[in-house]
Amino acid sequence: MTVIEVHDLWKQYRRPHVQARSLKEAVLALVRGQTGYDEFWALQDLSFTVEAGEAIGVVGPNGCGKSTTLAILARVLTPTRGTVAVKGRVCPLLELGTGFHPDLSGRENVFLNASLLGMGHKETARRYDAIVNFSELEEFMDSPVKTYSTGMVIRLGFAVAVNMDPDILLIDEVLGVGDEHFQHKSFGRLLEFKQEGRTIFVVSHNLESVRMLCDRAIWLDRGCVVKDQDAGEVIDKYRAAVEAWERSLAEAKARNATAS
Amino acid sequence: MTEFLEVLRYREVLWNLVRRNLKVRYKNSILGFAWSLLNPLMQIGVWYFVFKILFQRDEPNFMALLVTGFLPWLFFSQTVMDSTASVTQEMALLKKAYFPRTILPLSALLSNLIHLGFAFLVLLGLYIAWGVDVNIYYLWVIPATVLVALFAYGLAAMLAAWSVFYADVKFIVSNLLGLWFFLTPVLYPLHLILNGRIKTPDNWVEVFLDSHLPFLKQLFMLDPLTIAVEGYRSALLYGGENFVRVAATAGMTEAQAAALQASLRLQYPLLPYVVGAAAISVAVAIVGQIIFRRHADRFAEHG
Repeated sequence: MTVIEVHDLWKQYRRPHVQARSLKEAVLALVRGQTGYDEFWALQDLSFTVEAGEAIGVVGPNGCGKSTTLAILARVLTPTRGTVAVKGRVCPLLELGTGFHPDLSGRENVFLNASLLGMGHKETARRYDAIVNFSELEEFMDSPVKTYSTGMVIRLGFAVAVNMDPDILLIDEVLGVGDEHFQHKSFGRLLEFKQEGRTIFVVSHNLESVRMLCDRAIWLDRGCVVKDQDAGEVIDKYRAAVEAWERSLAEAKARNATAS
Repeated sequence: MTEFLEVLRYREVLWNLVRRNLKVRYKNSILGFAWSLLNPLMQIGVWYFVFKILFQRDEPNFMALLVTGFLPWLFFSQTVMDSTASVTQEMALLKKAYFPRTILPLSALLSNLIHLGFAFLVLLGLYIAWGVDVNIYYLWVIPATVLVALFAYGLAAMLAAWSVFYADVKFIVSNLLGLWFFLTPVLYPLHLILNGRIKTPDNWVEVFLDSHLPFLKQLFMLDPLTIAVEGYRSALLYGGENFVRVAATAGMTEAQAAALQASLRLQYPLLPYVVGAAAISVAVAIVGQIIFRRHADRFAEHG
């Protein structure tokens, strides 16, 4: 069964020019019909499908559209053109550790966060102990979140998200959160998810984690699909391409040095 | 309509945000929730000092008129200010997950409705102290509140959307609210002034409006805030026996006051303005929601 279907997806961003021009310039620009921004296509005609139970990794250089794709699947952003169909309960792990209110306690924030991820009060209450256990923050749950360290906040965010009951897990670059121990634990939890037959869609620069977790990988560059194949192959090819590019850079630098 | 169903589906987020707004407003204060009651009391204390002690206004019900009119104004201005900031403040939530964006201005509206409820309790306590009669006319407070809530929501939603794209909005809003306060009959009782029967030191408003465009006077009367503030006063202070007591503040005898009350019912053409203001409130609420919806998809890109 196809759970994610992305068809001819385009996403355009407007990059506003840096900060307020003077009023005179703004008025002149308006008269001349200039817009105060550049247009920029983050995704260009992207199409792919994901079957239920698949684990898919998206790799590619910064700015290639990985996170944009994920945000569109999570409905945080809307497509400029094209269609996106997602079936089932989606749990996005975006911007982990944000959206917590610093003055509320860990407990209160768990309930707020869970409701954002679509979980009702009763259901959250039932899972509360599991969430706290997973985060290993028992003795801090009644203190305001502003007293937490950055790592603790992210751990709590991760614990809430993985204790939801999603059909599809969308993960943005959180394969390495927390300390060594918590990283193992959270990675183990994701492997469990996979074994339970849930769909995992992960965006990451951590290529080895993607290789371990995913069956399939999509390599994006400048908003287009370069390769969409078996995870191991895609990662090898991506890595080879990056190395080749770095070599050519080094050679160019060496040439410049000898020339001058 | 679909938006309404979406909000229903995500009501847990709405309740959580309202609860959070209430908790956070008085964070780090020892008295906590008591400030919800203390704040209006202290504002009243300030006015007591300014009007009673400095300006020597000695009408017995002057404070009652002032405080009663202040509640809907306070609700309106707080809602508009909170909501204008709501989307930019909650950018982290917007980027984290999908939920109907309407929830943000709605949560500002609901938390301020709850604060209004608290303030109303303080007001009832004061009425008892002042000997104001609590009667069936009090129920008129409900439509007056609905009217000002619709108006506040519409403005709040459109301002919340615009302030994501233009930071100028919030500065303009706070200054305009300052002006609007004086254009709303909070510090002066409209009912007795516009009629021109009773001279009070406040009738500069009428002089101003009459000497300028009659259009301005109409606009003033169509302002949903004028209607809400006067609505609160009519419901709470002019209903039944209370009218006579209030009129007595302007030096009338009971017989004169009763005659005025009867003639006001016949002559005072308030009803068209109430209908007009209600229509404006509904229109503003709808337009505000449409503007908000139109921009909502691009909020997360702009944060």
